[in-house]
Amino acid sequence: MNTVNPAETFETSIAEIDKAQVKVDMRNLDFFYGQTRALKGVSIPFARNKVTALIGPSGCGKSTLLRTLNRMYALYPGQKATGEIMLDGENVLGAGVDLARLRARVGMVFQKPTPFPMTIYDNVAFGVRLYETLAKPEMDVRVEEALTRAALWDEVKDKLRSPGLGLSGGQQQRLCVARCVAVRPEVLLLDEPTSALDPISSAKLEDTVIQLKADHTIVIVTHNLGQAARVSDYTGFMYLGELVEFGATHDVFTRPATSRTSDYITGRFG
Amino acid sequence: MTASAAKIARRRASDIVFKMFCVTVTVVALAALAAILWSLLSQGIGGLDLEIFTKSTPAPGSKGGLANAIVGSIQMCVMAMILALAIGILAGTWLAEYGGRSAYASVVRFLNDVLLSAPSILVGLFVYEILVAPFHTFSGFAGSVALAMLAVPVITRTTEDVLSLQAATLREAGVALGAPLSFVIRTILWRSASSGLLTGALLAFARISGETAPLLFTALNNQFFSLDLRHPTANLPVVIFNFALSAYDDWRRLAWAGALLIAATVLTVTVVARIVAKEPSRS
Repeated sequence: MNTVNPAETFETSIAEIDKAQVKVDMRNLDFFYGQTRALKGVSIPFARNKVTALIGPSGCGKSTLLRTLNRMYALYPGQKATGEIMLDGENVLGAGVDLARLRARVGMVFQKPTPFPMTIYDNVAFGVRLYETLAKPEMDVRVEEALTRAALWDEVKDKLRSPGLGLSGGQQQRLCVARCVAVRPEVLLLDEPTSALDPISSAKLEDTVIQLKADHTIVIVTHNLGQAARVSDYTGFMYLGELVEFGATHDVFTRPATSRTSDYITGRFG
Repeated sequence: MTASAAKIARRRASDIVFKMFCVTVTVVALAALAAILWSLLSQGIGGLDLEIFTKSTPAPGSKGGLANAIVGSIQMCVMAMILALAIGILAGTWLAEYGGRSAYASVVRFLNDVLLSAPSILVGLFVYEILVAPFHTFSGFAGSVALAMLAVPVITRTTEDVLSLQAATLREAGVALGAPLSFVIRTILWRSASSGLLTGALLAFARISGETAPLLFTALNNQFFSLDLRHPTANLPVVIFNFALSAYDDWRRLAWAGALLIAATVLTVTVVARIVAKEPSRS
């Protein structure tokens, strides 16, 4: 059993996260693609109703880490994670975990927009229908609420019955956010959600993310350092499968504790 | 390095020769096709009239049509397609989504490829052994099964191919909402791949609609109009085969008309398949 306390691992600003405020506590996580060890003993707390950003050069394991939180990797034979990911005190990596339920609690938005080949309304209702049987008026309310929270309602309220694939890229991505929050997940995982979007759409999505933290614990992987600085409360810097530094975003960006972090955020490598 | 003028002239000449060769060969191939279509049209169009669709195959010398054969062919093709779609789509889905690179999947894939190029007369003989001989009667059902066996490998193959082309993130996006993979496949992936699946189905239909050999051993033929697939069933390919080889002019005229009907149907289906395949899935 591993007893590493993240608060001791990072002496700088991690102590600011009160234990009671930790929604997801990742402890000593290792991840393997077959024989390749992609994550090496990563411990990181994700605070409730805060945005935590993961930054680092390509291939450092940010997305891999994200995909352990909802066990998305379990779709692929040969991938496995060891360690502990405590979600409200329950180990996500445990043997008896119902993966479908877990994924309803831990939602995910992907790099490229992935609208389903159905109407905008049905896209949003898709996840809700899996777990709840709502009458039409209640479902209407839920769909409107989700689209409003994803800042998309005004743009699509008159064409809910048209196909989701007909929207622009930025709208499609916000549709995916709406689809995700409609299920009312506790944790939202965003995997480079704006990398395929233009600057204006990106800015809208960033606003959405900041709004959403009132109800969700958010983890965002991004290559855009400005974005990490704008939207996140905490930032983790990863390099070669290890978490190099973690702390309050302001601290990490203004006085990084390691030279590697400072090199990365000042653009000297990565 | 600059090539000498002679070298360049030689390259130009060989380029022209090669192009002309390609054009000639293409013209020969197209001419053959055009000749087939022309003889079909010129010989078949005269026999096409309303009675083709209203009257059954006649005795030599009397008036008649192909109604029994058309209806029998439609019945058997529809039933074969229902069988083949059910088996082919499920098998193709398993290969693409679950089988992966496992040994069992490789074996299934290999056998499917073998079946894809199996001579259709062997399929006919096989079905004869299991569905005709034991029941002591040729039947439309046996004919449907034989046609289905020819359509299954086509559909399995196209299903696997079009599902493999779907973005992995689409699959993950469905699963990420808490849906079981099987549900994601049925509600999202099949829908997303629907134009490809439809194309596969139409190609399979085109493949089986003109097959004669497997029906000779299974459905055989029937002079009379009947909807009962438990008995020998009339069908266009076998009627064409019999009538075309006969000594009677009116029978031969019906054979041409039937051949034209099949060719027109296959052509229509192929064109529709092309249009459907080009259409983006969003519409």
